Order: sequence, then structure tokens, then C-alpha cells
Amino acid sequence: MTPNSATSAPSRRSFLASTAVAAAAVAGGMPLLTACGGQDGNKEGTTSGKDAQKILPAFVASSVVTPDIPAKNGSAAGFTQAIALDGLKSSVPKKLGSGGKLKVMAPLWGTPPSNGNAYYKAMNEAVGVDVTWQNQDGNTYDEKLGAVLASSDIPDVVVVPGWNLMGKIPSAVNAKFADLGPYLSGDKVKDYPNLAAVPTDAWQRAIFGGKLRAIPMPASYVNNIAPFYRKDLFAKKGYQLPKSADEFLSWAKDATSAKAKVWACDDLKWTAFNMFGVLSGSDKALWWNLDGGKLINRIETDEYLEALEWTRKLYAAGVVHPDAKAVKGDASNRFGAGQVLVFNGDLSYWYGKTAEQRTQNADFEMAAFDIFGHDGGDPALWAVQPANIFTFVNKKASEQQIKDFLALANFCAAPFGTKERMLTDYGVEGADFELKKGLPTKTTQGTNEVNGAYDYTGDPAAYLAHPDLPEIARLQVEWQQRMGAFTKKSSFYGLTVTEPNRWTNLANDFEQLEDDIVRGRKKIADMQQAVSDWKQKGGDGLRAWYKKLLDDNGSAAK
Amino acid sequence: MSHSTVPRSRAEAKTGGRTPGADAPGGSAGKAAARRAARRAGRRTGRLDLRLRFRRDRTLILMTLPAVALILVFTYIPVLGNVVAFQDYDPYLSDNGFVAMLQSPWVGFENFQRIFEDSAFWHAVQNTFVLFFLQLVLYFPIPILLALLINSVVRPRVRAVAQAIMYLPHFFSWVLVVTVFQQIFGGAGIIAQTLRQHGHKGIDLMTDPGIFKFLVTAEGVWKDAGWGIIVFLAALSSVSNDLYEAAAMDGAGRWRRMWHVTLPALRPVIALLLVLRVGDALTVGFEQLLLQRDSVGPGASEVLDTYVWWNGIRNQDFGYAAAAGLVKGVVGLGLVLTANKVAHLMGEQGVYKK
Repeated sequence: MTPNSATSAPSRRSFLASTAVAAAAVAGGMPLLTACGGQDGNKEGTTSGKDAQKILPAFVASSVVTPDIPAKNGSAAGFTQAIALDGLKSSVPKKLGSGGKLKVMAPLWGTPPSNGNAYYKAMNEAVGVDVTWQNQDGNTYDEKLGAVLASSDIPDVVVVPGWNLMGKIPSAVNAKFADLGPYLSGDKVKDYPNLAAVPTDAWQRAIFGGKLRAIPMPASYVNNIAPFYRKDLFAKKGYQLPKSADEFLSWAKDATSAKAKVWACDDLKWTAFNMFGVLSGSDKALWWNLDGGKLINRIETDEYLEALEWTRKLYAAGVVHPDAKAVKGDASNRFGAGQVLVFNGDLSYWYGKTAEQRTQNADFEMAAFDIFGHDGGDPALWAVQPANIFTFVNKKASEQQIKDFLALANFCAAPFGTKERMLTDYGVEGADFELKKGLPTKTTQGTNEVNGAYDYTGDPAAYLAHPDLPEIARLQVEWQQRMGAFTKKSSFYGLTVTEPNRWTNLANDFEQLEDDIVRGRKKIADMQQAVSDWKQKGGDGLRAWYKKLLDDNGSAAK
Repeated sequence: MSHSTVPRSRAEAKTGGRTPGADAPGGSAGKAAARRAARRAGRRTGRLDLRLRFRRDRTLILMTLPAVALILVFTYIPVLGNVVAFQDYDPYLSDNGFVAMLQSPWVGFENFQRIFEDSAFWHAVQNTFVLFFLQLVLYFPIPILLALLINSVVRPRVRAVAQAIMYLPHFFSWVLVVTVFQQIFGGAGIIAQTLRQHGHKGIDLMTDPGIFKFLVTAEGVWKDAGWGIIVFLAALSSVSNDLYEAAAMDGAGRWRRMWHVTLPALRPVIALLLVLRVGDALTVGFEQLLLQRDSVGPGASEVLDTYVWWNGIRNQDFGYAAAAGLVKGVVGLGLVLTANKVAHLMGEQGVYKK
């Protein structure tokens, strides 16, 4: 279960993202370990500071619509008011595409619509590029990606989620994809105003092997794994929200009634990490932090072991749903069915699950509770990367194709309140959506067609907007802002680090071991043993390597 | 006896009939006759001109070509890829996988050394063998028993229905099988919930690493035992009724007839399947195990195939995974040879004969 492998969720793809996380959870352990490995010595490492300044695109803010809740503490911006169709502005006044063809390979969670449907046609027409999609199942995308990149037939454009950057994929990225710097670095990005409005933090993440190779999907840096509870059922039973790790455990024992098929919670390992202040487990470079002049890895910390021990107690007490123990099924479905009262997942579930459940159960109400420190005090949270899905262009692509791709990315990066955004998110009026009470509502055709294809090829700065459930957008942003206030950035925040090949697989088995320990199949002592093996087999070498990187480059965090 | 002689004589009659017709036209008749004579002579001495043999079997050879091509493309050419076991293989070095193979650095036996030093590998080997023996003892005999059972049912309707029900699970995917088992035997499954309704403690058979090997075997039996009976049923149907009648005449009861007639008739098939099964010993159900890996952890579920997958596909350590696969192949070959030898010693034909 790796809930944080999903996007951190601007609103329009929230349904997609929630299914993505769910699907990832079903797949059971899409590894988070974003291993890296440059083939050439000079492609290892990272690029920051002055070197990065040379290639990063300039930032030109765009303000089409002022957000109702401006971004703060790393949160997304929130829009709580729907905008009438005739009030939409245009951010792409002139069609930038040349009418050329592009083949795009991208992950998709769900059933891909056929190429040439009304929505794709309208998009391609509006962008001026004839895009053909090769959508692959997102759950097994890493397996396909490896094979496709090893072949001689790489599509023109390839989407790579950060959690798929394992093993030798980073070296493939450096070898197979084009440098976009000549088109985007510095002021050149101003040809594409929507891309110029993408935050520099996100662009920094798109530097692979010393070159600007990708269009990033910007995300909030606030930890995206929220602990959700069934507000409606809590009220019915008169439960109070627990305020500490111990309180949670005793509440959970009280609330579990296996006979009635109700368990207090699903797997909460990731929330436990957050409660105990463990360094972020998403991007591998975030595992390290400088502490008293020495780099410490999350797996070496006491907090890490304490979080595992607390999660183990939950399982041992029998308050976790048995299917979660078996890593089967979908946690959010158990939550929706009321079989578990608390589960953790990407923040986007808040909207996706509510919208889904309200159609069957008008009383359904869920909320994310604020992550508390394990001792009942303030939590110590760590920032996640400000972009974690990347779109690359084949090295063999012609200049015209690269320009067409950038036209596509610029279109899809249109901010909220524009015609481009509306078309990308809702499709064609009359076919894909219709207006109900002044709010755009997707038709069945729209649900099938507008299900995520254009979500990765360009995105604006992180924002949240749910015209049909505006209240939830507000709650989500406010949660991010409250959690953001407790969030610190670790030493390698914001950097894309390519580890040396020989060490890329060093920590791959830790997630399995964590899952073994919390389920009682292995002991904490096994973890201590694994950590000391890790140090010996290269962990200490990696520490020295990262330290040198930090000394040479400095960190990106402000 | 008379059965087998009939077709042979008919075939002779045919060729005999055709010969005069072929001789009739032209002056080449003498030559053709001479060639035929030579051919006959050749056949007698056991030698035959290659060209002639090719001409004779031309049609048959043509018919095998597609299969040969498939084997070549999908079996023999990929075998060459095993060289990456001796490399630090990086498929992204070139646009072409084969060129990448040429460019990847050679590391000698380093991958093998790493494998043999990896405790996880030995653990996977151990799990593989335990599962194999368990399946051999608990799973292999079941299709034979079922075939005997079905064979003893007289009414064809009952027989057809029973057979269909037993076959059916074979067509379910492993995802479905595992889900069905989870819904029945899992911690929130039917059995556990029923027990809880009646005031007992629930059970959870799906997450217990200790009984995992039995669980896997049970799933295998449920899914594939019905399918496995096909071969045995075919073998059973070839047993002549005369033998049963004769045995019954001599006063043999049901059990004696099974012991002395049915089982000896099945023996060659059993031996053959056993040898084949042993050759497959190290392949104990990749998909099935991968699907349940997270439920019980790699400690109980890691077998050689999943180990190779984890290192090769997930960790993209291709050379290492290829080396592990090679080790598996060599051990598998040894097992087949041994099993075949044993079959020969037992007087059975096995898979091949020298």
C-alpha cells in the first residue's frame, strides 16, 4: 500500500487520482522507491543552484481568476465558486499547434476511450495537434515502460510517473529523451505563457541528467496522505476524534466490532510515519536529511521504528480490517461501505469518494482529521516533492514535433477559469457535459471520454476546485494549509537526484519488510538487522555520496 | 492381433496398385523402376538418400515449418539472450536490445556469485522445493482418483455434468481464484463471519505464512484437478473391455480389477506426466504466488520465478535475473534427466529414449 504514490491532486483529476491510488493499493505495493542511476558518471547526481538557473524557465505569473483561497504554506490554491461558461477567459488566443501528429504513451487508471472520440477530436482541434493516445494500465505501467524504452520504437511523447523511476529507468530517461532547454530555458518559455506560469519548484524537478527534459505536473508540497474518517458514523456513535497515538489505539479497540463487520481502520502505516515525524518516504532523495552535520536516512531513525511498532500494535489488536492485512481489495471501498471507519489515502479521495457515495447515501460525510503528533503535540511533517509526474519527448522527435508537444502542454496547463481548462476537464458541451443548475455535470459519455488522458501533458500550478462540491475544495485547501504550517523541507527537497547505478536497488526491499513487520510476520529486530546490512552493503557509501552532492550543490530549499 | 494387420495390408495394396500406373508413360519407366529398386534396397539396409527422403516427406516437412519457425523465434533465439547473465546488462545503452547486449560490460560470474551469496535466493529455492514436493504428494494423485471416479460412473448424463463442474474452475483466472478464496477463507470471509455470528473467534487462513503452502496447493487442486483428469480419462478409455470381462470371469472383484487392469494401463501415462512434472518442478505457479505475495510476505511466498521477476522486472537488474533464471534452467534439466532415468529403470518409456 503506497498511497502517496499518486498525484497530489488538483481538483479536476481528483477522481482519476483517487482511482489511481486505489488501483495502486490494489496492486499492492507499487514501490515508492524512486531509484535512480545514471549510466554515465556525469549524469549521476543532481543539478541545482547556478547550474540550474541557467536552464530553468523564467516565471511569469498568470492571473486569469483570483483564487478564493490563495495558496499558503505550500497548499494548492482553492476555487470555491463556479464560473459561468460565458465568463470563461482565453489563455491561448492563437492556436500554437502546426497540425502535426504526436503519439503519446501515458498511464491511465480506468478504461481508455477509443481514439477519435468527440472529446479527443475537440481537444486536438483546439490545440492544433493530432494526438494519438497509447494508454497503458497505470498499475503495471512500470513493467511496460521498461520494455518500451528498451525498444527501438519509442512513442513521440512518454509520461513517466516519479514512482516508476526505478532501477535503470532514470538512465533510460537521460539516454532516450530530448533536451527541452533550447525551447524553454529562461525567457524562451514566454512563447508558452501557461508554461511560464508553472512554478519554478516544479521545473527544478524536471531537470534530469543536467538537462531540462520534462514538463512537470506541479503539486502541493504538503504531505498528500490524509487520514480520513467517517464523520457521519462518528457522529452517530458519539465518538470523539483521538488526539494522540495511544488515544487512537484505545478508541480503535472500542470501535471495532468484527461481528458486525466493522473495523476501526484500514492500513495506517503511512499515517503512522507522519504522526511520528518520520522523514518522507516518497522520493528516495527525501529519505535523507542533514542532522547535526551528518546525513541521516529515514530508516535509521528511532521514529521510523516507533511508527512501525505502533502500526504493528494496531494489527495485533485486531482493529485493522482483515482484507487490509491480506492486502486485498480497495481500502476506500471498505471505507465507503462503512466496514472501516478510518483509512488513509491521497487527499483527492475527499472529493472523489464523497461525490461517489452521495449518489447512493445522502448522509455520507467524510473528512480528513488533522495529523497529530504521536504524543498529542504538534506533528513534525516533511515536505513531499513539488512535482512527481513528468512528460518527456523522444530524442528522435523533430523540432516541429517538440513545438507541437509544447503547444499541447501549454494548452493543458491553462489555469482555472479559462476556456482551455474547461474543455480539458469537461469536454464538449452537449456531448460530454451539460449544465445542471448552472453547474457543469458530466454525462455518461463524458465520464467515459474525459477520464484523464490529457491530465499529464501539461498542468498549471497546483489548485483545487470542485464546482459541484465547493465546500470540499475549501476543506482540502484548509487542511493543506494547517498541515503545511507544521511541514519542513528536508535537505534534498525539490531536487531530482540520480543515484549511482550500483546503489539504486539497495533499499528496494524495505517496504516489503515494513509490511512484514506491521503484520507481525517479522520483528523490529529484523529491521535493525536490515538497516545494518544496508549500511554495510552501500548505505554508508550512499551517505557519503549524498553528502558530497549537498556540499557541492547546496540544497534547493529556500 | 487382426486389428493391427488390417491397415498395413491395405497400405501395401494401395502402393501396389499405383505402381503400374506410374510405370506406364514414357521411356523413363526403366529408370524410375531402377530408382525404386534402389530405394527399396536402401530401405532394407536402413540407409536412404537424404534428397529422396526429403522428396518423400516434403509435405510433412512443409507442415512442420510454421511450428519450427515459432520455436526458433520464441525459444531458440531468446536462449541467446542468456549471455546477459554474464553482463551488467543495460538495455538502454542502444535503441536495439541486441546492440545493447554487445555494448554492456562483461562481468564474468559476478552475477552468479551475488546470487549464491544472497540468502533470499536460497530461501526462494527452499520454498520452491517445499511447494513442489507438497504439490507432488497432495496434488498429483488427485486427478487420477477423480478420473477413476468419473470412469466408474455409468450414466453418461451424470458423468458429463460432473466432468463439466470439475473442469470449470480451470477457466477462471488466478485473480478470480484468489479472490474467491479470500471471500471464503479470509479474515472477513464467509467462514470467519459465520463463526463470529455464532460467538466463536473468526479465522483467517489467507494471511498465515505457516499454512500458506497448503493454501496454495488447495487453490491449485480446486482450479486444475478437474482439468488434469482429461489425460487419464483418455488412457482409461483405451483399456479394452475384454480385459475387464476376462478378469471378471476369473473371479476378480472391483478392487482387484482396478489394481490389476486399470492401474497397469495408466502406468505409462502416470510415469510420463510425472517426469514432465518433475521437469517443471521449479515452476510452481508464478501468477498465483505473485498475487498473494503481499498477503503473507515474501518469506513464505517467494519462489524462484517470483524472485527472478522481482529482481529482473521490478528492480531492472536484468543480468542478475537472467543468471538466476539460468541456474533454474540447469537445475530443471538435471531433474528431468534424473526423473527420466528413474522412469527407464522402472521399465517405462519416459519422455524420450536413447
